[in-house]
Amino acid sequence: MFNLFNKKNENLALIEEMRTRQERWFVFLEKLEARMEEMNTAAVPELQKVFRQDTDPYKRAHIHMLSGLLGQINQMRNKANEVKEENIVCFMQEAEASLPSIISSAGSEYRRKLYTFRMACLDRHNVFEDKINHAISLLQGAAGEQDLESAYQEELAAFERIRDKFSCKQCGGNITIPRMFFIDTYITCPFCQSQNTFSPSTGARMVLHQARSLAEQRTAHLLRSYEASNPKNPDLYRHYLRCMFDEWNKIVPDMVVENEKFYERLINEYNINHHP
Amino acid sequence: MAEEKKRIQAYLEQLKNKVETQENYGGEITNEEARMDIRDCPECGAGRAYHKGLTACAYCGFVFMDTKLTDGVNIRKENNS
Repeated sequence: MFNLFNKKNENLALIEEMRTRQERWFVFLEKLEARMEEMNTAAVPELQKVFRQDTDPYKRAHIHMLSGLLGQINQMRNKANEVKEENIVCFMQEAEASLPSIISSAGSEYRRKLYTFRMACLDRHNVFEDKINHAISLLQGAAGEQDLESAYQEELAAFERIRDKFSCKQCGGNITIPRMFFIDTYITCPFCQSQNTFSPSTGARMVLHQARSLAEQRTAHLLRSYEASNPKNPDLYRHYLRCMFDEWNKIVPDMVVENEKFYERLINEYNINHHP
Repeated sequence: MAEEKKRIQAYLEQLKNKVETQENYGGEITNEEARMDIRDCPECGAGRAYHKGLTACAYCGFVFMDTKLTDGVNIRKENNS
């Protein structure tokens, strides 16, 4: 393809080809970046709006929208990877095969040129990847955190209001709910011993679902201090994990046994994978 | 560039409409209040007594459920009749 080395051991066609390919590659990535940025600036306020207006307790409309946008970004990433594979890597290999022996002066000279070309293109691709990652984290963080703490406090207050309001369906005697339940529960009537079924409100059920996220929000500063430590201090992570689970257990005391098993697993995995 | 902007806006608009009209799996979640309920024995009208277990009526033997209870969050295996 480029075996046009003449007597002076020059191949201007190859040099020209490298130059235009690099130029095209840079322009292509710039265009992608511009489109990505354009999309992000337009999408972030929309995402926030959808998040605020979403009445679904799981914020599913927001999740759908976010995954749609992330899909767009991943499309760009795949496109760039495809083009890189086709136009940089393959070209590189073909061109290298057509070069004269590496021990000849032209051979080593052109290999050097080719590697400079490759490094320039790949470095540019790394910059592009960094921007992609930044865009993704921007989209993911756009809506901010849900205010779980105040929702939880509201539920606690709501429970205090209703806990004495129930009566036995069999004998009409007053029933006080002994503690906050997050799933359907049998409550025994203190007078006739009948089993009443107590169904917590949707809000109370959500507490169980959000408990871990809430505990993570409460201990986020500990995780941050672990991530800020350099080199990463494993004791800080263990401390964070213990505190997070303590908070979690405090919110849903019913799940202590299960949560502790989960804690054991996480801490074991951490020890095995990172700090024997 | 202006055309690009328009295209993005149109895409976002479309996406937003889609997520707003999309039905969630399992339907809408309705906010329910906490409530109390009871299941009487349909045969004799007696309530379920705690110390006699939850699976059968202590008075006439009507079977409320065929399942054998195991230890859960609020129900223990001692609650079998």
